[in-house]
Amino acid sequence: MGKLIKYEWKKQRTSRLVIMAALAVGILAFVWGLIFDKGNASAAGIVVVLMFSMAFLVLLYTGIESILVLNRDLRTKQSYMLWMVPKSIWEILGAKFIAAILQMFVVFVSFIVAGCICLGVAVVEYGGIRTVFEMADVFAQKVLSVNISWGDLFMLCTSVFVAWTDIICIGFLSVILARTVLVKSRFAGLLAVIIFFAINFAVDKVMNILYYIPAFEDARVFAGWNPWDVVYYIFIGVVLFGVSGWVADKKLSV
Amino acid sequence: MILECKELTKWYGDTAAVAELTLNLSEGKIYGFLGENGSGKTTWMKMVAGLTKPSHGEIIYKGHPLCYRDKGEIAYMATEPFFYDFMKVGDVGDYYADFFPDFDRRRFDELIGKMNLIPGQKVKNLSSGMNAKLKLAAVLSRRASLCLLDEPLNGIDYKAREEIVRMILEEADEKKTFVISTHLLEEIESFIDYAVFIRDGQLVDKIDIESERMRSGRSLAEIYMDLM
Repeated sequence: MGKLIKYEWKKQRTSRLVIMAALAVGILAFVWGLIFDKGNASAAGIVVVLMFSMAFLVLLYTGIESILVLNRDLRTKQSYMLWMVPKSIWEILGAKFIAAILQMFVVFVSFIVAGCICLGVAVVEYGGIRTVFEMADVFAQKVLSVNISWGDLFMLCTSVFVAWTDIICIGFLSVILARTVLVKSRFAGLLAVIIFFAINFAVDKVMNILYYIPAFEDARVFAGWNPWDVVYYIFIGVVLFGVSGWVADKKLSV
Repeated sequence: MILECKELTKWYGDTAAVAELTLNLSEGKIYGFLGENGSGKTTWMKMVAGLTKPSHGEIIYKGHPLCYRDKGEIAYMATEPFFYDFMKVGDVGDYYADFFPDFDRRRFDELIGKMNLIPGQKVKNLSSGMNAKLKLAAVLSRRASLCLLDEPLNGIDYKAREEIVRMILEEADEKKTFVISTHLLEEIESFIDYAVFIRDGQLVDKIDIESERMRSGRSLAEIYMDLM
């Protein structure tokens, strides 16, 4: 499976390079501010917040791109490269899924780590963490209209990441359905989009309903992001992967 | 028998691309797969290569139902270019070496040299003829038991065609079976053992070329015109 992951990884090389170049520009801007605009702590705060915000944007983008890559691997003649190898459907889809998660993880963590490093440097440089947090808070309130709760940031990142992997799974399943059971339909693409949103809606609805079942009621006391969300999303991800693999195994022709 | 197809059928919507086709292939033979455009040759090859699922029927490879592991012994060369855009010529060899245990890297390097391909060339920049040569080099570098070549001589210049035919013959032995689909009857007439005629997804006839030549003296083109 490692070799399959290697080639899946290569398919998104260009966009990964662009994303990393954007990160490098952010870091350079931060360093530039440190050297040439020493007294301006708010500029450092802005860069830090931008890095954390961008982490979520690149997470979304690389995830969506991995769905588009799967679509291309099922629609074009390049699909032969993938499906002619003596590997099971489960290995191929598993490699695609792992590669997608790895790519999302790498770009996401790169921005988060870079943001944390910049934050650390800013603390040292400006003599107090409070100043930098305050500047970041002010920027976030003004530009993003949110209050940063730094203590919840890690939980937020984990939950968003796992939730987003579920969206990727739903995207994979929708694409596979469009190229298998819906392939005869003239509106396969449109139906796949509708299925994508319908499954997303259902996943959210089921989660809300679960919290009203007496056995799960305690989980509801966690406000916002909580560990049960992560458990639920992982379970749904496994189910979606199973269904995708089963449909592909029975029906997929390229 | 290396391959048995029993009532193999593939529907695309209301059209049967392959319709209840029953065909057996013997080990170590070279088959010419002949028929008009849209007669079902490519669909049949893709089913045998494991790329397309049959709607009905059975494919038995070496005595067992075809499964994904058999792709390690069945080499398929599609008509169209199918290598990834990000690849260079040398990367194609790496890819095949990574996934196919029967791939001979030294043979690949030798073949791309003969075909004037440069390992550092980008695949997406190759002409259709050069791309066809690269596909052939990759497929013929596999020591596959069953080799499916879909119009391998398409887009290849006359001089290179001779070289390609020579390479196929070099690879052919009593262990390897070749199925070659083509419209260039004269190019394959001299070396195929059997001609398989397909029309509207159905088997019209499978003819032992040598026996037919001895019996009626007809050329492959004449047989084709008579049958199709």
